[in-house]
Amino acid sequence: STFLYSENLGSFSPFPPDEEQGGHADQKTSPARTSHKKHLPPIPKNAVPITKPASVGTPSHLANGTHASYGPFYLEYSLMAEFTLVIKQKLPGIYVQPSYKSALMWFGVIFIRHGLYQDGVFKFTVYIPDNYPDGECPKLVFDTPVFHPLVDPVSGELDVKRAFTKWRRNHNHIWQVLMYARTVFYKINTAEPLNPEAAVLYEKDGQLFKSKVVDGVKLCNSHLFDQPKVDDPFAISFSPWNPAVHDEAKERMFTFKRRPEEHHKGAQVSGLSWVKPGSTQPFSKVDSPQS
Amino acid sequence: MSWLSRLNPRGPGSRSNRSAAPSSPCTADPETCLMVFENHWRQVSWVLEQRDTSSFSDDLTAVRNNTDQMLCLLAEERPAESADSGSCGAPIGPILELVITENILERLVQWHVRRGLDPDSQGALLKLFEMLIGQSQQPLLQHTAVLHPLLRLLGACADPELGCPPALENSLVLLLNQVCVSMARQPVVLEMLFHAAPAQQGSTNLLIFSLLVPFIHRDGAIGQQARDALLLVMAASASHEAVARYIAENSYFCPVLATGLSALYSSLPRKIEVRGDDWHALRREDWMGVSSLVLFMNSLEFCNAVVQVVHPVVRSQLLDYLHNGFLVPVMGPALHKSSVDEMIASTAYLDLFLRSITETSLLRTFLRFILLHCHDNDTILDTLLTRISSNSRLCMVSLSLFRTLLSLNCEDVMLQLILRFLLPCTHVMLSQRRAIRETDMYGKSANKFLSLIPECCRLNAAASAERDEDNPFWSKVFETFIVIKTIEKSVNISTPPRHSTPSRLSFFMRQQSGGGGSGGGGTSTSTNVDLLQSGPSGSHPLSPDSPKHQTHTEAFDWDAGYLEYLKDARRDIELCSWACRDWSAPYDGENPSPNTSPPPPAPPSSNPSVTLFPEHFSFQREGNSNTPPNQQREEAAASLSSEQQEEEEEQRSSALDQKLTDVRGDGSVMGVCSPARPLNQPASQPYTGPFMVVLFAKLENMLQNSLYVNILLTGIVAQLACYPQPLLRSFLLNTNMVFQPSVKSLIQVLGSVKNRIEAFAASHEDFPSMLRKAQQYLVARGKLDWADSPAAVPPLRRSDSLIKSRKPSLGDLILRHTNSPTRARHAAQLAFAHVRDGGQSLHSALFRGGSAGTSSLEKQAEALRVKNAVYSAVIFCEFLKELAALAQEHAVTLPFPQNQEAEE
Repeated sequence: STFLYSENLGSFSPFPPDEEQGGHADQKTSPARTSHKKHLPPIPKNAVPITKPASVGTPSHLANGTHASYGPFYLEYSLMAEFTLVIKQKLPGIYVQPSYKSALMWFGVIFIRHGLYQDGVFKFTVYIPDNYPDGECPKLVFDTPVFHPLVDPVSGELDVKRAFTKWRRNHNHIWQVLMYARTVFYKINTAEPLNPEAAVLYEKDGQLFKSKVVDGVKLCNSHLFDQPKVDDPFAISFSPWNPAVHDEAKERMFTFKRRPEEHHKGAQVSGLSWVKPGSTQPFSKVDSPQS
Repeated sequence: MSWLSRLNPRGPGSRSNRSAAPSSPCTADPETCLMVFENHWRQVSWVLEQRDTSSFSDDLTAVRNNTDQMLCLLAEERPAESADSGSCGAPIGPILELVITENILERLVQWHVRRGLDPDSQGALLKLFEMLIGQSQQPLLQHTAVLHPLLRLLGACADPELGCPPALENSLVLLLNQVCVSMARQPVVLEMLFHAAPAQQGSTNLLIFSLLVPFIHRDGAIGQQARDALLLVMAASASHEAVARYIAENSYFCPVLATGLSALYSSLPRKIEVRGDDWHALRREDWMGVSSLVLFMNSLEFCNAVVQVVHPVVRSQLLDYLHNGFLVPVMGPALHKSSVDEMIASTAYLDLFLRSITETSLLRTFLRFILLHCHDNDTILDTLLTRISSNSRLCMVSLSLFRTLLSLNCEDVMLQLILRFLLPCTHVMLSQRRAIRETDMYGKSANKFLSLIPECCRLNAAASAERDEDNPFWSKVFETFIVIKTIEKSVNISTPPRHSTPSRLSFFMRQQSGGGGSGGGGTSTSTNVDLLQSGPSGSHPLSPDSPKHQTHTEAFDWDAGYLEYLKDARRDIELCSWACRDWSAPYDGENPSPNTSPPPPAPPSSNPSVTLFPEHFSFQREGNSNTPPNQQREEAAASLSSEQQEEEEEQRSSALDQKLTDVRGDGSVMGVCSPARPLNQPASQPYTGPFMVVLFAKLENMLQNSLYVNILLTGIVAQLACYPQPLLRSFLLNTNMVFQPSVKSLIQVLGSVKNRIEAFAASHEDFPSMLRKAQQYLVARGKLDWADSPAAVPPLRRSDSLIKSRKPSLGDLILRHTNSPTRARHAAQLAFAHVRDGGQSLHSALFRGGSAGTSSLEKQAEALRVKNAVYSAVIFCEFLKELAALAQEHAVTLPFPQNQEAEE
């Protein structure tokens, strides 16, 4: 299968959609990157495998009749809407991508850029209950159990529930879960831990805790290029930087301009506006020579 | 730049064949040619030398014959070949050199002028120069020895005494056109033309220009050539400040152009003769046959082209003149004519103009006029708005105009029409303001819209057997609507609306071609048979609360047609938000701030005489007046489909009906003006503006509207619902939002329509069969029209040949004042026959129950009422799906960043 991601010296370079119509493509709306990664590319959520142009959840996809496995109709749109919110949030260092096979399963990766877990690259999977948004809160499971008080050392599951005791539609959104997953690595909480050993160590022996974390990060990163555990074309996988493949992809990502899918020839290039910003009067803008 | 590239001047290439003939012996060898030339010149100069001898005609003939030969040789001559060719100053051929050194042309022209230029010689000289300039193999005009005699000749044409006889106008314009073409090729010529005017004709130093101006508005080829030529001058002026200033300050170009439009407008037909109840806008094929309109449109197109290429100095002058010399004094009064026919005509013209203009600054001039200019204390916009509430044709033409306005995605337009009324957020309960930015995350609003599909329109299982017989039709029904929407949008938005004149009728016509290729596609054909039936069942199992209950098959049936709406909605929203990305503000309830925005104009309720549509939403049920409005609203929203609510809606709507017919004003009607909002404080009363009010009132009245009004109307509301601005989006599509009691929401209006449809269905036993027939009719009509005119979508850019080759379309016949009344009448008969044989007869057959036999007016009126109601039920259901799809797609659409790139 095609691997879409590569990691090289901290620069994350997902392969951009093979074609613009990767659904709700948003390769370019997320320039907001924090300081030390000026050139980080946008969130790669909708990277599309070359073999399968239609991305999850677009109507065209449904029209192909392959929607069956995605379950009911509104649910899918709700998840698309959630995903859209994630994109809008521009979460620093977090990338997610719904699975090809189920809109209820999202693959993700989180980059920790400072603090105890610095340089950590943790892959994870989000499982959304099928009665979303009326069920429990989504689960977030790290592919490799991270050494952390709130991460189950066996299953890798993050204790999300403590932050979302009751999942409330309209108020709770999946991006908040992702944000929470990021926060736990910067602000460590040891109360009622899933990993008591980690909790105790953190409280009692910071040095040892730290070295365990570093080992864990190393371990995790040493498996970075492993095949994804799940066989899914949208699973996130890493490969070493290969200029022949990635340079061009990177270039395309940086130059990518999102346009309406059917934006063609005659279309009104931009709507008209002569309203001066801050004014609500028509034609308040000083008549600049247009055209 | 299409205009410029279209001007394919008759350059050297195009006529070389013809001109090669007379001088063929000389083409071979430049030296021989020179000798022949010298020979001719000797003979001519001998005649020219004869200073004072009388002008024997022999002399004239001799000079002419020789001159012809000479100039042909000159035109044929190629530039001399030289080692450094191309680097500096093109080497000139020996003949041209001789012409320059001997000043041959100047002497020739002087001789002619001196002996008195008769029209014959004048014409001959014009033609000679035209040939010379048009065909010369080397640049000539940059040599004063050519330029000055030319200007002398032209000066004679501009001479007030001599002038240019009408017979020579063609030659003159052609020559001028050639001069402009070579000027466009060699900008230096413009410089020379401008500065090196011959001494005698000093008064106007851009002679060529002033000679052309009178021909701007001419009919036919001569006008076109003059406009083409002028346009070249205009384009050249863009980089020549001095020329631009000259045009603006010393020429009558701009006033002539603008006032010419006024003159041409005044000769347009005052009344548009319409056949067919669907007509609502002038399509190209409609006006191609109307000479006065063609003339006007040519000039308007010319204005547009000038604005496109000209120097800003001239442009702003021209735009001023257009505003003050055409729009205000002519268009303004025309739109305010008192006769309905004239209103229809002027509205349709304005719509056509708006669609034809492509230049932003020209469009700005028009929009400014519409939005801000006051005629008799009302803005043009307000006047146009009131027309929507009128009956049938005027309403349709007005709706069409507004559709055009909306398709511009213009912030200023939207601000005036709607947004300024929503900005203060007073239409929303205070507690609800946060919800303005929310999208329909969980499909609740979509579900709400879909749940309003009346029970009676969801064909029950019993009907399915019967339906199978009709399968061929049925399988098309929903494609039809989907394709209607598809085509409408593609015509209106994704291509500039101005280049086309979509008529909703033609959507039916095109549905076949469209459906096969893009739109519905093969995926849905098998399943949309069941759409109507499964629609209802869909709304329950599909509710987000219990997604699991739904089987896949159900979902698929239901999805099939709906998916097309989703697709459309996604594309339209994307295109719209793309187009709005450079607006000054997001209009999300916070920016611009509700507190700083100026209070919108108050509803016009205090002046009933002006108000065509009284404020109909300002009353409440008295029984509820003790309940806090907020709570009352929430109750209402919660129980919208409950019976109590239906009753309430009924009450409201009947009250509305009464109120609408009451011209005396608000106070007395039903006594239900909200006591909290006395009339003397209209500003405090939330008001969503006349546009929304009139649209909603019209929508609420769907059952009484004609099919075409409803198609236009729902199209406009859907167009509005595509706008991504949260203020507007939440107002139309957020069905959970709680508005102030005085503000009617879309969902309320739709609920009321639903109830009316159900009441109607309950009182007509044969409603299901009528409904089906209505659907069949629409599809059949589509097929028929499509079969009739496969080229139903004419290319709209200049393709006159195509227009000519078409048989007279319905549209050709719409306007009177055509060149050939007989032909028009004949064509009219054809069209009538077409309508009668096709749509109409089929239609009346379908509805025979209502209209057969008696011809009593009452029966006819009743039949019409039934027909409208049944059609409106069909449209209503589709409209709901469209709105639901829009609500869902808004939740998954990402905004486009501002100014992300330079314009293409």
